[in-house]
Amino acid sequence: MKKQSDSFWGTVRKHRHFYLFVSPFFILFAIFGVYPLVFSLFLSFVKWDGLTGMTYVGVDNFVTLFADRTFYVSLWNTVVIGILYVPIMFVLAFFFALLLNSRAVPFRGFFRAAVFIPCITPMVVVAIVFGLFYGTESGLFNFIYQTAASLLPWGPVPPIPWLSDSRWVKISIAILLVWRWTGYNMILMLAGLQGIPVEYYEAAKIDGVTRFQEAIHITLPLLRPMLVFCAITSLIGTVYMFDEVFVLTNGGPGTSSMNFGLYLFNKSFVDFRFGHASAAAYIVAVVVFMMTLVILRWRKSEMAIQ
Amino acid sequence: MKNTTRRVARILIGLAVSFCLCICCIAADLLRRNPVSTRIDIWSWNVAAKCLDAATPAFEQKYPHIDAKVVQSGTRLQSRLMLSLISGVGAPDVTQLQCAEAPYYVASGRLMDLTSVAEPYEKQFSPAFWANCVHEGRVYAIPWDMGPCAIFYKRDIFKKYSADIDEIETWEDYIALGERIYELSGGRTKLFPVSVGGMGSYFEMLIQQARGGIFDKQGRIDIDSPATRKVLRVLRRMMQSSARADVGVFSHEFFASLPKENIATYPIAVWFGSSIKDYAKQTSGNWGVFRLPAIEPGGLRVSNWGGSVLAIPDQGKNKEESWKFIEFALCTRETQLVNYRDHDLFPALMTTFDDPFFDEPDPFFGGQKVRRFFASGIEDITVLNRTKDWNEAMRYVSQALSLWATSHWDDEKFIRDIERELHSKLKRDIAPESNQGEGL
Repeated sequence: MKKQSDSFWGTVRKHRHFYLFVSPFFILFAIFGVYPLVFSLFLSFVKWDGLTGMTYVGVDNFVTLFADRTFYVSLWNTVVIGILYVPIMFVLAFFFALLLNSRAVPFRGFFRAAVFIPCITPMVVVAIVFGLFYGTESGLFNFIYQTAASLLPWGPVPPIPWLSDSRWVKISIAILLVWRWTGYNMILMLAGLQGIPVEYYEAAKIDGVTRFQEAIHITLPLLRPMLVFCAITSLIGTVYMFDEVFVLTNGGPGTSSMNFGLYLFNKSFVDFRFGHASAAAYIVAVVVFMMTLVILRWRKSEMAIQ
Repeated sequence: MKNTTRRVARILIGLAVSFCLCICCIAADLLRRNPVSTRIDIWSWNVAAKCLDAATPAFEQKYPHIDAKVVQSGTRLQSRLMLSLISGVGAPDVTQLQCAEAPYYVASGRLMDLTSVAEPYEKQFSPAFWANCVHEGRVYAIPWDMGPCAIFYKRDIFKKYSADIDEIETWEDYIALGERIYELSGGRTKLFPVSVGGMGSYFEMLIQQARGGIFDKQGRIDIDSPATRKVLRVLRRMMQSSARADVGVFSHEFFASLPKENIATYPIAVWFGSSIKDYAKQTSGNWGVFRLPAIEPGGLRVSNWGGSVLAIPDQGKNKEESWKFIEFALCTRETQLVNYRDHDLFPALMTTFDDPFFDEPDPFFGGQKVRRFFASGIEDITVLNRTKDWNEAMRYVSQALSLWATSHWDDEKFIRDIERELHSKLKRDIAPESNQGEGL
């Protein structure tokens, strides 16, 4: 045993220069990755407002969390907003990726940049612009909607309360999310498309396959790894989405647009209940981790069948 | 040769020592004449930061050994301050705090106890504001500006529809007038902006008028009261009225409406005057203010919305200098008057109210003496017991009000629900029934 240990440290000593070169990553990862993870796990068992001392409360934070109606509401809102925007965003991203991958489209570079720009536009600017679009009394969307409706036989219609109604507000956020993240997913899918060998398409052309059949039987199956990646990033992005909701509605009206990311922020940096926030973060992180595993397992089993 | 070298070395050492001594003497003399200045950092936000910055030259002239540096900290000052206090480093020497969030920091014990130095000034400040700075009888901050409320109105709209502000005594009169204006304007002009998500601010304004509160003097939940029911009646009437513009306070639509005709009045606080001057310069002379309508005839027509304080985080090393700055900026009549004259920050220091400046007509408000208008009645503002979790409590109230409005809850369901929520989340007791309704 002693000999083994000696040989282990001996090897480390022998290769110490290599370890020295890779050590910055591990040191930074330990400080900014591992330490916060461990510390927030510790925090989930204490009561702490940041300024006064910590008190060990056992599983009380988890009990309070499961009794908190707003926690469930925030999870439900997260799911609803996700269902509203992810499928539409995927379809649009796939469509734009196919379109902008085609050599027949002129100015492809310009259009690719144009579709991608929303996701790098600062959120504050987006919020101001969309805030003006969504205004109930004098917003652009209602102006178009009411002007169009007034030309129709059934006459004037009341304005849509885009941001002040508990149902419409989720749709408003979903529209913004589709606008913002379609370009990002499109670029990923475009990268996936460009990785598909052209020989498949050439062979299909010889066999007389239509464009639609090409997309269904060649493009989609070969793009599946990228689609899985997009699905996982969208899942994580939806659960921890924060800035869109924070600047557009701040969770309102009431809690009707409060998603999980905003719930965490409010518990941590508005209410200063760090223990409660850490407990919530851990519970949801475990759920997200398990869902990611399910998606990966499903992908793996499908590959095995193929 | 060796002796010569030694001699030269001794001479050189002697010269070096003499030179050092001379330098030290000169430096000591310079220091005596011009002591090293102590730098203090002050965190503040937008207009308030400009205001403090403008006061700095006069302060440095009075205290030449203090170098005051005002840092614009933006709206997330609270998070930055919090992180600095947690980590034990990085907090400023002096910090501005919103009135509503001050009690949290005051109760944290992370602010310098100002009781001994601040006591002489207590009587000079509005009691409703001083209360936010006190925890268990000790003073931890000094009030700066306050937000006495009123209705800001557009004179041309009132003239166009022959509306008379003297006929408005209660909120019912006010809303009825709004419905008349709505009819006469063919739906183009609405009287006031309230969105479903923005009822919390109105609730806070109205509950003071009803002499109610969320907590009683002991910090127990005291929302099940006749005062709350009266406020809910007014709010429901507002929400269901055609006079309401579905526009959130401080939204882009809200500011865009200032120079336009779509909204006629704004029930808000004195600091809103500077926003109107910024966003609607071209409407100078068209604005006026009148008292908040009472909830019932003969009721209270004053309330407060917002305001801020200055405090000294306890990790600062220049506490004496920091206090001198606060004393100069907030407890000095001249500085406070300049703050109000140049930046529209209404002083909580009541000794300024007898200055002739308060009686000057304001051309932007059609020559109305708005400063005197806001200064009168301040002593009647209800003192709310803002506990350390006040901000959190107000968020729950605001969320519950949204549900009350959109899900058509009755008032009793709202009261039961919010009382239960405050009890479970804040772990506070509910005031016994015998106390309820007495307000504060």
